[in-house]
Order: sequence, then structure tokens, then C-alpha cells
Amino acid sequence: MKQRERRLVSGDGFYVDDIELPNMVHCIFVGSPYAHARIKSIDVSRALKVAGVLAVITGKEVVELMDPLPATSNYSAIGWHWRTPKAYPIAADKVRYQGEPVAAIIAEHPYIALDAADLIDIEYEPLPPVSDINEAMQPESPLVYEEWGDNIQVHLEFNFGDIDAAFKEAERVLPVSWHEARVSGFPIEARGCVASYDKVTGMLNMWSSTQAPFLGRQYISSALRLPTNKVRIVAADVGGAFGNKLNWWKDTVVGLGSIVTGRPVKWVESKRELFLTGSHNRDVTWDGEVAVKNDGSILGVKAKFLKDLGVEGTNRGSAAMGMVPACCSVPNAYRLKGVKIEAYGIVTNKSPYCAYRGYGKDKGIKFMERIIQVVSRELDIEPEQVRFRNFIQPHEFPYKQLSGYVYDSGDYPAVLRKVLKLGEVNSWREKQGQARKQGKYIGVGVAFVVEPAGVAAPHCIYGGLTQARVSITSDGLVEVESDQTEIGQGSDITRTKVAANILGVRLDDIEVKRDTSDMPGSGVYSSRGAIYPTGALIRAARELKARMIKLAGHFLNEEAAYIDITDSVFHSTKDPTKRMSLKELADCVYFRPGPRGLPHDMQAKHEVLLTVSASWFSPNTTQNPTNTYATYCSGADIAVVEVDVETGAVSILKYAHVHDAGTLLDKDVVEGQIFGGIVQGIGEALSEELVYTKSGELLSNSYTDYVMPTAQDSPDIVLGHIETLSPFTELGQKGIGEAPPIGSKVVIINAIENALSPFKIRVPESPATRERVRKWILESQGG
Amino acid sequence: MRNLLGLRAIPQIEYHRPTELTEALKLLAELKEGYRIIAGGTDLVPAARRGGVSLPNHTHIIDISSIKELGYIVKDDGMIRIGAVTRVSEIGVSAVVKEHVPIVADAASQLGSLQVRNLGTIGGNLCNASPAADIAPPLLVLDAKVNVRGVDGQRLVPVTELFTGPGKTILAAGEILAEIQIPITEATAGSCFIKLGRRNAFTLSIVSVATLVKVKDGIFDDVRIALGAVAPTPIRASKAEEYLTGKETSEQVIDEGAKIVAGEVKPISDVRASEEYRRDMSYILTKRAINRSVQRARG
Amino acid sequence: MKVPIETKVNNKPYKLEVEARSTLLDILRDELKIKSVHRGCEDGECGACTVLLNGKPVCSCLVLAPQVGGAEVTTVEGLLKGDELHPLMLAFIENHAIQCGYCTPGVIMTAYYLLNNLTEFTDEELRKGIEGNLCRCTGYIHIIKAIKAAKEYKDSGNWW
Repeated sequence: MKQRERRLVSGDGFYVDDIELPNMVHCIFVGSPYAHARIKSIDVSRALKVAGVLAVITGKEVVELMDPLPATSNYSAIGWHWRTPKAYPIAADKVRYQGEPVAAIIAEHPYIALDAADLIDIEYEPLPPVSDINEAMQPESPLVYEEWGDNIQVHLEFNFGDIDAAFKEAERVLPVSWHEARVSGFPIEARGCVASYDKVTGMLNMWSSTQAPFLGRQYISSALRLPTNKVRIVAADVGGAFGNKLNWWKDTVVGLGSIVTGRPVKWVESKRELFLTGSHNRDVTWDGEVAVKNDGSILGVKAKFLKDLGVEGTNRGSAAMGMVPACCSVPNAYRLKGVKIEAYGIVTNKSPYCAYRGYGKDKGIKFMERIIQVVSRELDIEPEQVRFRNFIQPHEFPYKQLSGYVYDSGDYPAVLRKVLKLGEVNSWREKQGQARKQGKYIGVGVAFVVEPAGVAAPHCIYGGLTQARVSITSDGLVEVESDQTEIGQGSDITRTKVAANILGVRLDDIEVKRDTSDMPGSGVYSSRGAIYPTGALIRAARELKARMIKLAGHFLNEEAAYIDITDSVFHSTKDPTKRMSLKELADCVYFRPGPRGLPHDMQAKHEVLLTVSASWFSPNTTQNPTNTYATYCSGADIAVVEVDVETGAVSILKYAHVHDAGTLLDKDVVEGQIFGGIVQGIGEALSEELVYTKSGELLSNSYTDYVMPTAQDSPDIVLGHIETLSPFTELGQKGIGEAPPIGSKVVIINAIENALSPFKIRVPESPATRERVRKWILESQGG
Repeated sequence: MRNLLGLRAIPQIEYHRPTELTEALKLLAELKEGYRIIAGGTDLVPAARRGGVSLPNHTHIIDISSIKELGYIVKDDGMIRIGAVTRVSEIGVSAVVKEHVPIVADAASQLGSLQVRNLGTIGGNLCNASPAADIAPPLLVLDAKVNVRGVDGQRLVPVTELFTGPGKTILAAGEILAEIQIPITEATAGSCFIKLGRRNAFTLSIVSVATLVKVKDGIFDDVRIALGAVAPTPIRASKAEEYLTGKETSEQVIDEGAKIVAGEVKPISDVRASEEYRRDMSYILTKRAINRSVQRARG
Repeated sequence: MKVPIETKVNNKPYKLEVEARSTLLDILRDELKIKSVHRGCEDGECGACTVLLNGKPVCSCLVLAPQVGGAEVTTVEGLLKGDELHPLMLAFIENHAIQCGYCTPGVIMTAYYLLNNLTEFTDEELRKGIEGNLCRCTGYIHIIKAIKAAKEYKDSGNWW
């Protein structure tokens, strides 16, 4: 148990940068300084002359030797306005964002490659860039893809329920608008992989810092024109992912590099490269109206939703897809009559959009939670009361939401009541009153999140595939494999415990294998780990347990109904003298006597092995195909902040969170995810922002200017749990991981707005940086 | 051509490590140019990787961090003398500095992170001459001087004359900033250092302010105000100082003085903050710093 | 330019010829195969590469390799007693302070220094002490808990 942690704490990591293969060389990407330009010429001859440089790959070679990057989703098939531009990992004739790779240098040492990079002679013809989404929507805008005629990659309309009836019944119609800045996860380890192509066998072996090796294999083999059975990807230790490692476009070049040079190639991404070419997210704007009754009932929401996709084409629709849950999650925890969203995914000359914790559903939820704040303020009803009035009630589950999502279970009022108590809201509101008299501004914020977890979406590669395999080894130990790739979220610990509990085996006897592309499955994202791969594991383990019990009974000459196993020892509950260890059983089954000594019926069915593979698919989705998520966990946040109105600085005086993720598989693991997610959301609320100039230059391209919370920027967090089991999963467990940064971001914003209510400030956007908060205050004072 | 890279490699360098100051000065005199001095490396190394500093291939890097005679903190005749190669972390925790020139310790203990403070030196912070150099405002209000050594001799330069522009100092080729001399504040004076960044810790200053006041019978006897990150160099706000001297230490007067500071500063807008916000925070932080200094002066 | 240096890393003496422009981070990982020291940002901004240099936490990505001549360096490998984990490491495991593990060795070195040099500290002082170690996974809560638990080990004599 905790072998992984013991390894990592003592320096025995297997992160990509730790991997060394004989004759290994290094790959460095060279990127465009322009946000938008044609590549007129590229001459690599001087770079190739540098001693130690093996190859320089440009767009020309890529187009010759690779297929275009495969699409990972495509909704044009069902008639949606959905475009999938052709994309290669290295630009051949046009660059569309600052940093877009124009060459990859392969050399004996990274420093040699970096030195040679300046010897590549590139002639660019700069084109007018468009880095503002509103500009991009104008007819005169520069076009990111000329052949499109405009910059609209996606245009969707969602019309749920009866929006006209909702607005007809309205006693008030309130304007609502909300903007989230461009942000992302930027884990401490950036992306990277090692690729080793063996000419003799034709096998491309790769080790990658990835969230989904099986999906990666699919993707990379397609791009490199290799059959999938000639590509194998092993997930290295992953130094954080948060969605940012759910892409493999650069890995294709590393693979190509190994094929071309015949040497193993390592690529370790620098942090700046991740900022420039990564995985960006949020950067959304909502503009609309909410129809309400004077008692705080929310009838309906209409809005226009804009998402700045940057050059999302590089991520092949993986991120554009997020617009769907963004719109479908708007109803959140509430009973509404109608929701109508018109959504646009616009391309600009910015880095590719990708997944980041929350992915898409986070956006609609935050919009709704800002709507609640507006309603609370305008109708002068406490924010929690607005929620209590509109909640889906406990007896209504499973609840078919307007969007088609079927919420499995929950007790939203209980979660909210509990957090109000943990957050000491009444006491803080009293303090708030007293503080105002002294010219101090304290605010109390409330937020509630229903997080759809565990995706199985149509028309994409994220359709819910999963597999687990559990085996007893010949010496009586346990091996567990599944697509629940360990990325620091606690997958190994959870799988060990789940397997141990079901099998009756000692924790220390269980080895969880590193995830590889051998295991068909979708990997980890969308909070699916505890649902899908764990569901498969549970099914496999249960079947294996039944088989083990039957075999133990056979060898102990006891009825299976009286056989139990505890701490890896089988014993008869009827006759305590009948005992055998799992080790002894394994030896019997494998070798002595082996299959010839097994019960006849098992021999006849060829069930002679102590290994079971299983899969799992959400019954919720089976029954309701428009419901793309398996479970719906919920969470509530209370934040108490003090705003220094002279500087705009925000201090967090109290933070409480209550989480309902159904059955908790491991409390530490869940709490670790919650704490980490909350702090990420706080960073988004107060300081994180990817700032571009008008000409598409990314100014926030390092940790210096992309300001994430340090230990001194993170609060103590009071945490409570409620467990309403999901009726649709094996143990009633729900997915976790993405709710915390959703609620925390919006609760801080709500708290700031509450603190500044004497100034009648509406917080229009995040992050609420110190400068912005001060600006809002000065503006409200007519300054 | 310089192609955009994630991070550049530090170019090839010629590394030198003199162990004595005379050795270092002789080396600089021989090289004349084409060299950079390094001690902690906390500015030079990241700048080289980001491409923010131009280091031609085979630049001579003179590592002065081993020159033991340049690392010390002593109290000497009404003065605190700090060797240029003294690590910022040492200055932040030094009992001598905390007792006699506390705002220098305050600035030092808030500079960067613990890891950066353990490498960075006071001389490096000054010679890098960032307009936002945290150690500068306290030294400016304390009327500190730096001892600049060359192979032919030495000169004493007031810190007010040290900075000539962003990243530029008055040091000529061949010179090494060897020592910082800080007159000890009178016990009756009150001082304060405040910095404001984009988060609570480990943050570049958007505005930093140091103030030193002497108060006599409720009147400002002596007022010094210095700011960082709001002009091409760290500056003294001389107009505000002039205004406040001789006036009563009332809230309105202090407020007025702080407003004058806001008019004196010349901030720029960048990704970290806008000109307006910097100007505004010059006002707010100066007001707070002077108020706190006045309280400390009385106490 | 190659510079000969003598240094002690985790109490073991080394005579090395280092590339002048490489960093302490480079030689620890690439020459000495000490893999616990991680490349985070190579900008001095994240602390993932933190080691003790002459007993004090520094970002090894900021130290030029030749500067290490005559100095002593400690990494987490140097805190092990054979295969035995240091009590500080146990505290991290027991308090679930390790998620992806990438910031962990850097945090451990900073925490080791803080625990050895501060007799008492508040939570706030502890948070300030690790300000230079960014963690994206834990939100710092379990890290703070682990360091406080390690202090109890230390105070009870279980320490080295």
C-alpha cells in the first residue's frame, strides 16, 4: 500500500524526464514569434550542420510523412454547425498562434538543439492577427482559416423546456452577464514523452505524461500511419494533468522523430512552451436574461454564450465539444421551466483550447451561480434562500433535467444546510454588519454545484470505454490493471483498497500496474475514474472472488457457501480447521495440480484461470441516451472575504465546503482532490489570467505573470461530507474532482460582490484582481 | 535569427571564479568588456533563458559569490555596512539589521521566496537595477551609499545616484559594487516598508514604498519617501518630502503629501499593472507607510 | 567550457568536470542521476528543483554548475538511511501530502530546513516558509498537516 508514494518521496520517480534509454536523443520544438503569419521559407541547412544535430523536422516533412491529426470529435455528422479544420502538429505554410511549432530539432543534447534552433532561417510574412473574440466575429476580421469565410468554428443552439412560457410567467426579467478569463491548469510538470521506434519489429514504444494511453495510441498511430497494434504507450508517472495532458499532437512529432532518426527520442516540454502552445480553457462570455418571480423562483434563462477557442483545431474538437456541457449544465441544481442558449465557438490567433478541470460543464454552472447572486441581490432575498426555493428536491431523483441529463441522486438542501452551518454564516453576517460601521468590508458568498461526472458522449472518442483486469498471480498476490491512469489523483490507492475490500486480500499484497495502451479504455478526465474504471474493477473483482471462493471450497472440500477469505486466507465458517492461504490456492490452480485438478464444470467452461477482465457502462446512460454523464455529485461552498477597498486586495477569512460524492472510496484521496481543486478555483477567482496583446502576443507566459496561489494565498478549509448513494454505480460512488474548482471560483466572486454591495458593484468578470477590484470601487464612486 | 523557443539554453560562457576582490578587479580590467558579474544568479540565469538579456556566445561570467571579503554585516560607527555579496536571506534575519535599519530587513524578508533569498545578494539586487528592486526604496530613504571599487581605487556613490535607468547603474566597466553603507536610523525616527504585489507571497512588486520620518512636537522634522516599480528607477519623492517637512502630522496633511507622490511617480502600464493603478497605489501605500512611520516615531 | 569542481552531494564527495553553462539541476539529474530534483519551470518560480545548498534551500535551476565547487548539496536521497524513509517523508505519506509527487521532493527539502531551523512556528509562518514551493494538486492543506506532524516526530526524538 502506498508503494507509489514511498517511491516518489524518496526520489524514485518514473516521470518522463527520468526515463533514459540507450542512445537516446532529445527533441526541441521551435515556434513562431508571430500570432498570424505565412511561412514564406524555412531553411534548416545551417542547423543541420551543427555537430550533434540529427534531424530537423519542418512542416514539409510532416505533411509528407504523417497524416493530418485525427479528429477526436465531429458533430457535423448530425447537422450541427461544426467545423474541424485540417491540422498538423508542425505548421507547413501558415502559423496561427504565437508559439505554433514550425520545426522540431532532434539532437544529442537539449542544449545542442537549443543552440541550433537559432540557425534555422525562417522568413515569415506577418498577417494581421485577431486576438479579440468580438473583433473575430466582425465581417472585416482577419480570418484564421481563410477557407471558412468567417471565424465561427461552432454554432449551437440549445432550447430546453419551454422558454417562452418561462418568460411569459415572469414577474421580473433581470439582465445577467458574466465573463471568465482565459486560464488553465499548468501543472508543475509540463507535457513530455519518450518515443522509441524499432525498425526490426516495426514497433513504436512510447512513454508519455498522459491521462489516456489507449486514446493516445489511437491518435498517434493514426497520425503516423502505423497500425495500432504496432504502437504501445505506457503512462509514465504524471506530474499533474488536470486535463492539460489530454492531447497528443506534439507526441506524434516525437514519434516521427524516432522513426526518422532510428534513435529513441525524448521530449520534455519547458513550462513556457506549455503556456504558449498548451491547453487553454475558460475565456467565455455569457450575456442574457433570467426570468423570475418575486418570490425568487427562477423560471428560465436565455443567453448568448461565446467561447474563444483559439486554434482549437490543433486539439481536434476535444475542447470545442466542451461547449455542449457548458450549455447543458446551466440549470445546475434547480428546477427551471426553460433554458435557451445560443452558443458560438470562435477561433482567434491564440493558443489551442483544450481540457482543464471542469472542461465545459463548469461554465454553465458558474453562470447559473452568478445568476443566483443577481436574483438574490435584485429581489433582496438571501442567496441560500433563492437556492432552497429552486432546488430539485430529494424525493425527485432520478431527476430528468431540462437538458436531458438525468441526475441520479442527491440531497441538495441537506448539503447547503450543512455548509451554512460549517461556514458559520449567521455569525459572519453579524460581523459583516459591525465591520461596515468601521469602514471595513466583509462579504459572505454562497455557491452550489451539481457536477455531472463520468462522460460517455456520442460522436467522439470519449464514449465511455473502460476495462479492468484483476489477476491472482501464481504465488498468491494480486495484480490490478485498468484505464484509471494514475495522475496524482489517488487512483492507485483507491484501486488497491477497492480490490482488497472485495477480494478479502491484504492491502500490501496488491500491485496496481501502470496504465498502458494495452488496456482499452478512455483514461482519466471528466471525474470518471471512480465510476467507470472503478466500476469495471469492481465487476472483475467480484467475479474473481466468486471463482476463488468456489475453487477454495473445492480444494478444502467444503461448500462454497461456507468459505470466506480474510487477509488473504480462505477459511471455512463451518469448520475452522479448514484453511488455506491464497498463495496455496494459487499454486493449486496454476501448477499443482493445475487445471486438471479443477472442478469438472469449470474445466468444461474453460474457466481455469485466476484472472478476470470486465468492463462497465453507465446504466443511467443506457436508459437515457441523451444523458451523457453517469453520476451527478454535488457540493456547496461558503466563503467569507474581506476586501481592502484601498488596494483591492481580497483576504479569505473563512472557507467551508460540503461535498456529496456518494460512497467515499477513500476519504484522504477525496479530501486531497477537494482541497486542491478549491485552491485552483481561488487562483482563477483572484489572479490567474492569460493576457494577450492586440497582436496576439501572450504576455502571461510563465509562472511570474500567470499568478497561481502560493501556500500563503490559500485558506484553511473546513470540510464536510454527505453521502447520497448513486443508484447507478456498483458501490453508490460518484465521480469527484471537478466540482471543487467550480464552486470555489464563483463563491469567491460572490463573496467579493457581497462585500462591496454598499458600493453597488456588480462583479462582471474573473479574475477579480486587486487592480480590477480597486477599479470597480473607484468607478462606483464616480472616480 | 532568434527563433522563439520555450526556454533558450544559456549560451556558452567563460566562467571565472575569483576568490579575492583584487583578483576580480584585475580580471575585469583585463577583460574591459564582454563580461557579466554573477553572484546568486537569480536575475541573470532566468533572463538568459528567457532571452531577456543578450549574452553573446563566450561571454565571460565572473562569479564573485566566493569572495568572502564581500560577505558581511557589521555595525560600525553609526553605520551598518553590508558586503555586496551578502545573501538577502541573511539580511532579512540579521539581528543587527532588524534593530538598526529595520526596513532593510523588512524588504529583504519579502523579496522573492526563501529559495531566491538564499541565493540572491544585496549587490545583485541593486546592480540588476530593476525599477522594482525591493531593497532600493529602504536604502534610498536611509540615504545609503554604495562603495564602488575599481582596479584604480574606489568611490562612494549615494544610492540616489546609483540608478540611471531600467536595468542601468552608474557602474562603469571594470567596477564592482563592493559594499552598502547605511547610516543608522535615530531611535526616535519611524520607518516603514510596504510592498504590494498580485498575490500575498513570492510576488514582484507592483508598487513598493519605504518611508522614514522624524517627528518633533507633532511636526514633520524630516520626511523621506522612496518608491519602487513606479518610475524608470527606484525614486525618492522629493516634492512630497518638501511639502510634508515642517507640517503637522495630521491625516489630511499626510493624505495631501501622498497625493503629491502620486503626481510625482512615472509608472508604466504592463501585464502586471496599469499606470493608473500604480499611481493610485503610490498614493495609498505612501499614506499608509507614512502613517505607520509616524506611529512608530512617537513610539 | 569545462570547469573541474569538487563537491559533496548527499555526503558523498565528487570530482566532476561540468559544462560551465549548465546548472546544478542539470548536473544532479544528468551527471549524478539524482532524479528527485525536478525540472518545473527552470525560472526560479516554482521550487520543484529545490535542494539544500550548504544547508539552505535554493532553486537548483538558478545555480550555475561551476558555482557548486566546494559546496555541499543535499537532496531527498540524502535523507534516507539506507532504505529507511526519513520521519519527514513518513509524515508526508501518512498525511496524504503527496498527490502527483512532482513538487514533493522540493517541498520536503524546504520543510526539512524549516523544521531544523524554527523551534516554534505558526501556521502562517509555515505557509510563508514554503511560499517558494508551488503545488497545484494539494491546495497545501495536507502539506501543512504533514509538516506539523513531522514536527511532532522531531520533538519526540524521531529525527535525523
